[in-house]
Amino acid sequence: MSQGIYLTDQPVRRPQPSPGNSLIRKIQRACRLTLAEPDLGLNLDVADFINAKQGAAPRDAAIAIVKLINSRDTHTAVFALALLDVLVKNCGYPFHLQISRKEFLNELVKRFPERPPLRFTKVQRLVLTAIEEWYQTICKHASYKEDMGYIRDMHRLLKYKGYIFPKIKEEDLAVLRPGDHLKTPSEIQKEQEIAQAAKLEELIRRGRPEDLKEANKLMKVMAGFKEDNVIKSKQLINEELFKLKRKADLFKDMLSTSEQPNMDNETLVELYSALKVSQPKFQKIIEEEHDDDELIQDILQFNDTVNQLVQKYILLKTGNTSEAANIQVSSISSSAPAGRSSGALANELNLIDFGDDEEPSSSPPPAGESGNPVEDLLGDLNNLSFSQPSQTFGLGGSISLGAAQPTSQVTPASDFDLLAGFSNASSSTPPPPPLRQGNSNSGSFAFDGFADAFNSPKAERVLVSSSSHLKIEFEVSRQSESSIKISSFFSNEGVVPISGLTFMVAVPKSMALKLDPQSGNFISAGGKDEVFQFGSIENAPANSSKPLKVKWKASYVVSSTPVEETAVFTLPQI
Amino acid sequence: MGNSISKVMVKMFGYREMKILMLGLDNAGKTTILYKLKLNKIKTSAPTVGFNVETVSFRNVKFNMWDVGGQDRLRPLWRHYFPATTALIFVVDSQDMKRLNEAKEELYSIISDKEMEDVVLLVLANKQDLKDAMNPQEVSDYLELKDHLNNQLWCVIGSNALTGQGLVEGLSWITNNTKAKDKK
Repeated sequence: MSQGIYLTDQPVRRPQPSPGNSLIRKIQRACRLTLAEPDLGLNLDVADFINAKQGAAPRDAAIAIVKLINSRDTHTAVFALALLDVLVKNCGYPFHLQISRKEFLNELVKRFPERPPLRFTKVQRLVLTAIEEWYQTICKHASYKEDMGYIRDMHRLLKYKGYIFPKIKEEDLAVLRPGDHLKTPSEIQKEQEIAQAAKLEELIRRGRPEDLKEANKLMKVMAGFKEDNVIKSKQLINEELFKLKRKADLFKDMLSTSEQPNMDNETLVELYSALKVSQPKFQKIIEEEHDDDELIQDILQFNDTVNQLVQKYILLKTGNTSEAANIQVSSISSSAPAGRSSGALANELNLIDFGDDEEPSSSPPPAGESGNPVEDLLGDLNNLSFSQPSQTFGLGGSISLGAAQPTSQVTPASDFDLLAGFSNASSSTPPPPPLRQGNSNSGSFAFDGFADAFNSPKAERVLVSSSSHLKIEFEVSRQSESSIKISSFFSNEGVVPISGLTFMVAVPKSMALKLDPQSGNFISAGGKDEVFQFGSIENAPANSSKPLKVKWKASYVVSSTPVEETAVFTLPQI
Repeated sequence: MGNSISKVMVKMFGYREMKILMLGLDNAGKTTILYKLKLNKIKTSAPTVGFNVETVSFRNVKFNMWDVGGQDRLRPLWRHYFPATTALIFVVDSQDMKRLNEAKEELYSIISDKEMEDVVLLVLANKQDLKDAMNPQEVSDYLELKDHLNNQLWCVIGSNALTGQGLVEGLSWITNNTKAKDKK
């Protein structure tokens, strides 16, 4: 068909503006020249639009705004930066994910000369302010700070080039810090859903093999095949509850220290309102989590305490000291519940990161940590001129992050890092208990010394675990200098059939694990080797000094009760 | 710039690349179709938890085929795969009459999404080798595509993933029915 006007089989429709266009129009309206100063109303309108639309909206907005920031006209650029600021503060993770993209950051500093000028232009100063602000807030405090690696890199790169960041006022930083709010499980879940959806779409869009791998994993979490979300929300509630209890403790102390406390004390008023505000939430949490007795007991008890405190406060405020003194507030045991659930979480966390991925290492550690920052930066500068010429967006000006991985990739490759793996997955939880105390049946831990006994010839069967139901055996043989073949065989030791068997293995991060699908998931009573699975471990050098350890987890159903076994297994030296 | 290179390629060689999204209820045969096309082999696969993506070249078109798992819990996540899709392949298990209505509902909820209003729709009435399978015409009638889809190009083709019957026909239908769009 040639160009021009012609009728097709399809009905004649007016070209419909795509949703993207109305977003761009809104952005342009917020930055147009006729405005005297940035219009907060218009800016918030854009933020609301993005929050409602999600999907590609945060990305489109970020790209459109950075274009305006780079326009020749200072007025427009300043407005665009004001809009950017509003979006960062109001659109949460989906937008943070976009501003932490390498391409976006490179565009943002496109007009920065290689060497810092004597005097910064207004736009440059605002850009530096923005980066410093992000660096001090979302890169440090956000629960997803490991996704913000490129912002840290850009900050370091600019610093290295001699750019000086302006001081940020404490109030400005406070806006982006996470607030201490008690949230109900459904609220937490909703936030998680939005954040995970944004991340999934971004991963699909990028489409590199490692992104797709992560996307696949994320999907499992989102679909509820893994328990991460539930556990995480439980943990969040407990953390907030713990903080609140500390506040209540403080509040109680302040009220009871003197006969006549100063009721206008700012801290006192603040604590009072924090407690008061969270009371309605208790109710909601109890409604939503009605099957967690322990949590409910805990909240009810705490609620009583808060009630007493509030009453005491009001009495004191009205000058009724004697009556206030009669209220003996029961003490608050602030440690128990938080400890309980984070312990459970730590147990689970080892399983979350089923280790064959690289993202923990590609999320750069905080600036100070990496070995040799200067060298990293130089490496980055080398990349500067070579960064993929086929892209127009994100190519950047004379300062840009290279095409290579984030700069601090240089962290020494740890050879057995499963443990470190989960401790950085859960920065706020206590270190996980030793794996051996896992919730497995007896008898499965006897193999540590056992394995050594089987040091010898190829493809010898080694017993990995045998419980009252399931026996797991490995046949381990070396295929080449760097790869090991593992065949696993599963037998039923009991008198009841095993169904729904899934077996998972994790290897140290420096290695890669390939597993073929299991031959099945059902083992009849007494069945021997009825299920088997082949796999290989790549990048496992021969004659390495340390024995190779793998972590495994088997879950199955026996007479309709689910069973889980897990432990670490030391492979025989081969 | 990458974009403009591919535009040049289109002009010179008619070479194109497109994203194809393959959806359908669980156990419809999406993953089997994908690997039959990619490897010409039957991979017996466990239910897909997550997604698979492969590129399949056919004539001068490179298809990026996304096969997303069809279990109930995964269906709400389908929409994240919608952006930039050129063609939707909706796979139906032609023998599973009991769930055909469920499939129909899912199909309509997909194509009523704003992001999917411009895609071409290919329905594969899969598992034609089975004895009680409905034929493509019956599937088409059941889905009532004729009555509901006025603006979208659509087509129902019978397929058998095990032999590969219908798959190449499907891809060539997609190729033929998206070309006009690109040249506009």
